[in-house]
Amino acid sequence: MGHSIAKVCVLGAGTMGAGIAAQVANAGVPVLLLDRTTDGPDRSIIARSALERLGKAEPAAFMSKAAARLVEVGNFDDDLGRVAECDWVIEAIVEKIEAKHALYARLEDVRRAGTAVSSNTSTIPLERLIEGRSEAFAQDFLITHFFNPPRYMRLIEVVSGARSNPDLVAAVSAFADQRLGKSVVACKDRPGFIANRVGTFWLQSAVNAAFDLGLSVEDADAIAGKPMGVPKTGIFGLVDLVGLDLMPYLKASLTASLPKDDPYQAIARDEPLILKMIADGYTGRKGKGGFYRINREAGKVKEAIDLATGTYAKARKPMSIPAVAQKDLRALLALRGKAGAYAWAVLGPTLAYAAALVGEVADDVLAIDTAMKLGYNWKYGPFELIDRIGADEVAQRLEAEGHAVPPMLKLAAGRSFYRVEGGQRQFLGLDGEYHPVTRPEGVLLLEDVKAASKPLLKNGSAALWDIGDGVVCLEFTAKMNALDGEVMTLIAQSIALVQRHYKALVVYNEGSHFSAGANLGQALFALNIAAWGEVEKLVRGGQQAYKALKYAPFPVVAAPFGMALGGGCEIVLNSDAVQAHAETYIGLVECGVGLIPGWGGCGELIQRLSENPRLPKGPMPAVAKAFETISTATVAKSAAQAQEIGFLRPSDGITMNRDRLLADAKARALAMVEGYTPPERPLFRLPGAGGRAALDLAVQDFAAKGLATPYDTVVAGKLAHVLTGGDADMADGVSEAELLALEVEQFMALVRDVRTVARIETMLATGKPLRN
Amino acid sequence: MRKVVIAGYARSPFHLAGKGALARLRPDDMAAAVVRALVARSGINDGDIEDLVLGCAFPEGEQGFNVARVVGLLAGLPLSVGGATLNRFCGSSMSAIHYAAGQIQLGAGEVFVCGGVESMSRVPMAGFNPSPNPELARSSAAYLGMGETAEIVAERYGIPRQAQEAFAAESQRRAAAAQAAGHFADEIVPVSVKGVEVAQDGCLRPATTVETLAGLKPAFRTEGSVTAGTSSPLTDGASAVLVASEDYARAKGLPILARIASVAISGCAPEVMGIGPVHSSHKAMQRAGITVDDLDVVELNEAFAAQALACMGELGLDPAKVNIDGGALALGHPLGATGARIVGKAASLLARGGGRYALATQCIGGGQGIATVLEAV
Repeated sequence: MGHSIAKVCVLGAGTMGAGIAAQVANAGVPVLLLDRTTDGPDRSIIARSALERLGKAEPAAFMSKAAARLVEVGNFDDDLGRVAECDWVIEAIVEKIEAKHALYARLEDVRRAGTAVSSNTSTIPLERLIEGRSEAFAQDFLITHFFNPPRYMRLIEVVSGARSNPDLVAAVSAFADQRLGKSVVACKDRPGFIANRVGTFWLQSAVNAAFDLGLSVEDADAIAGKPMGVPKTGIFGLVDLVGLDLMPYLKASLTASLPKDDPYQAIARDEPLILKMIADGYTGRKGKGGFYRINREAGKVKEAIDLATGTYAKARKPMSIPAVAQKDLRALLALRGKAGAYAWAVLGPTLAYAAALVGEVADDVLAIDTAMKLGYNWKYGPFELIDRIGADEVAQRLEAEGHAVPPMLKLAAGRSFYRVEGGQRQFLGLDGEYHPVTRPEGVLLLEDVKAASKPLLKNGSAALWDIGDGVVCLEFTAKMNALDGEVMTLIAQSIALVQRHYKALVVYNEGSHFSAGANLGQALFALNIAAWGEVEKLVRGGQQAYKALKYAPFPVVAAPFGMALGGGCEIVLNSDAVQAHAETYIGLVECGVGLIPGWGGCGELIQRLSENPRLPKGPMPAVAKAFETISTATVAKSAAQAQEIGFLRPSDGITMNRDRLLADAKARALAMVEGYTPPERPLFRLPGAGGRAALDLAVQDFAAKGLATPYDTVVAGKLAHVLTGGDADMADGVSEAELLALEVEQFMALVRDVRTVARIETMLATGKPLRN
Repeated sequence: MRKVVIAGYARSPFHLAGKGALARLRPDDMAAAVVRALVARSGINDGDIEDLVLGCAFPEGEQGFNVARVVGLLAGLPLSVGGATLNRFCGSSMSAIHYAAGQIQLGAGEVFVCGGVESMSRVPMAGFNPSPNPELARSSAAYLGMGETAEIVAERYGIPRQAQEAFAAESQRRAAAAQAAGHFADEIVPVSVKGVEVAQDGCLRPATTVETLAGLKPAFRTEGSVTAGTSSPLTDGASAVLVASEDYARAKGLPILARIASVAISGCAPEVMGIGPVHSSHKAMQRAGITVDDLDVVELNEAFAAQALACMGELGLDPAKVNIDGGALALGHPLGATGARIVGKAASLLARGGGRYALATQCIGGGQGIATVLEAV
């Protein structure tokens, strides 16, 4: 391919530019980050300061220390010539057309022909950006619109112009997809593209309606938050998060650039209260607070503003939304009084607006749904929401209220925007026909497999799916993907099945997180009735199931993403290989609830650390590192960091794009099939009582410094007992079976301790660890 | 009996472990640079050297393989020169000097290079595979953390936090003044780290005051009195002295810094290891036939301000004579290298400022003290 991207230049080191540079570095690609030149000894101080801020950003902008080293900084005067080294130049400077024009004019002289140049503009049309540019520049130019923060927001809107070279647009899109992990949505060259166009309309409608209906911000957020599947912050909480000052900015930009008859023009308005709040520094969470604020003088009290009076008072418990209306949009819209009225006032116009934009901002409903889900964190896109209400119901209500019904909505009369036909998901096109939802090559979604087939095996907590080519997928299905005896039973059944009829198994699911670990609620129930036998059975059952996976005669590949904690981490550790999403947060966190890893995590982590050539030789370094990692419940903040810590092996793979994870894991599993032999059982060389004495001394030091609680030292003592091999002598090896037996023994000692029970209870009740 | 003298002293710059300028320098290379320079500066025929004796508290990894022999080879000493690594924790390189003095008096050599090395960056305290005897760990304080022993000494000898901080601030002040006056320039051997020359100490914090120290949190106990500012930092460094018979030194015209008058070792309870210098100093002074009043120069290693003050109080030392150019709180404490530094420093101070007797003494983890009395020649 003609346009390989080996080095990237980002122009503009503001929040977006710096964040984009960090994500490029996260992909392992070197980046040059340039900003304005300053007087003084360091002419690149702006870009350098931005890089320093990136290193401290929370949530972290970089996935690893190695990534941070890939960013080089410079300035527009001394270093612009170096864009010739780069294959893609991303402009992310101030949203002023004159400034962008001036910079592009300078780029014309220094860039190589064929180097892609893109703007991260969120408001300026492409055709205006390339005014006055050469034909060659116009051919290499496109818009790539990232969302903030660039590492975490999965959407990228790509706009190509009439003269853009399609090969180059394809190359940039492929890089954004496969290397940067973004989902590319192709947009037309219209103001605000897709997400901000619909999103701004939605926010404005919701804010207007709250003022008009005299609703409190607490009530408004309770109605237009979780029940609609939009971020649980709700509307006002979301505006606080992104910044109140962004709203007048987007309004000014859109009102200036949209046609006069665009429905947004009719609803755009400046609330005097909001302007006053911005003037007073109440710009949201980045300022003194916003619609909500934390009053520290009153002792960290959460307060909400009264939209009528502009005064703050302690945030009230919002109106209660009936359970059925929490789940069913029709029920929500049918609520009497302000709740139902508000729900419609937010949804009705927004969904109508989205429907009117099909063909205008994108070719199909799919693009708009994807943009809203990934750019605004909606659980359902606008057309999926319409399907949940019913296209006819929406149309009828619009009509009854004297609003125009968009043609796209009329087209859906008596139908839905999505359907599953012959096991395939389809969407309604502008032509009135259904078209298959096609995935890019290299994207395999379990969602599609599930729509098209029945599970091979299934119980209350897990299922097994045939994902083609002889590979099966083990899916967790319980709440939070918690792990319990049912999962272990299904693993045993799966192994028998795969052995007979399949080639490999992938552990994967499409929940919010891979797995939060063992089902603690169930465990607590057993502990409270002193059903020790049941607890022990669960521990042994988990060990047997995980080890059976590890030693099965076929390859097992785990594909974690999001949180993979406790038992969720241990199934990853017991797999033959791992293909992890870049955003994987993995850790053995059992000590936080007064337990130790009981499903083989101890031995697996020691084994991985023992293989690490950076650790010194001898029995102690790997054990000491495992002890430190587990006793402090260390959770990796990325897959790259998980490799640094040792949860993942250097040979384990990392997939940047969440949608590509299953296909990558499957490919990895298939690549292991030929000549596959299960791993040999390890013989651990552990330090025994002497090593344990060293760990105990370290824990005593921690306790003296106030860094470990009294019960921390007890739990750490049990952990040390397992990791050092119990009573084994250093000269004798410890078998895996012996180490597993030690895990059970020490785990069972801890569950009998009331302080462990107290920790579990607190975790279940508050989600926070008890420091007893 | 044959007299033994200190006829030369050199050391590397001392730098903070981990983040300092020597963190990327192998300890064997560091020590070799110091030994090479010491021998070259002395002008002796290196074939005369009987043995290279190096102290090291954690002689493993890059400071393993009998590092003294490795350093001798790296420094280009003749193959005929021996090499022995000696471990008495913080007292290691002072013991190396004592060993050489004994050998000379036995008639088993005329001139020795004695020193020490510790890269606390590259070999962690307690080593890579710590494995305390579990029974002893349970029943004694043999493995107690050093910070905790300082807390116990502070408690038992009534050394309040303010006194520790005043002492630490004074140590920093003296070290800064000595550095400004060029008193370290003669002793420091510049070393090259990946092509960059390092010629100055890196641990000093000349801006330290009792006020800045008062703001630090206790480092070892939540309610403790010992802080990072009143503890010697983890340090990388190497040191060496030339130990010779007086006859040899005179015959070769070596600059004699001082004569070794007496030496001593003593043991004490591990949990108050910081008080170790008291008994060993008494023994050494008695063997030299002197009392505290006869001392003009004292180098008392500052592992912690608390133990240094306790020892000074117990021994009745005059603070004006103790650690005239600052101590380990300011300069750093590369465990195995400190003993030779303070013997070399005490001898140099006698040569520099007159006076007749000097005492160099230090505490040792596990509960020991070591002392050397020097006499001006």
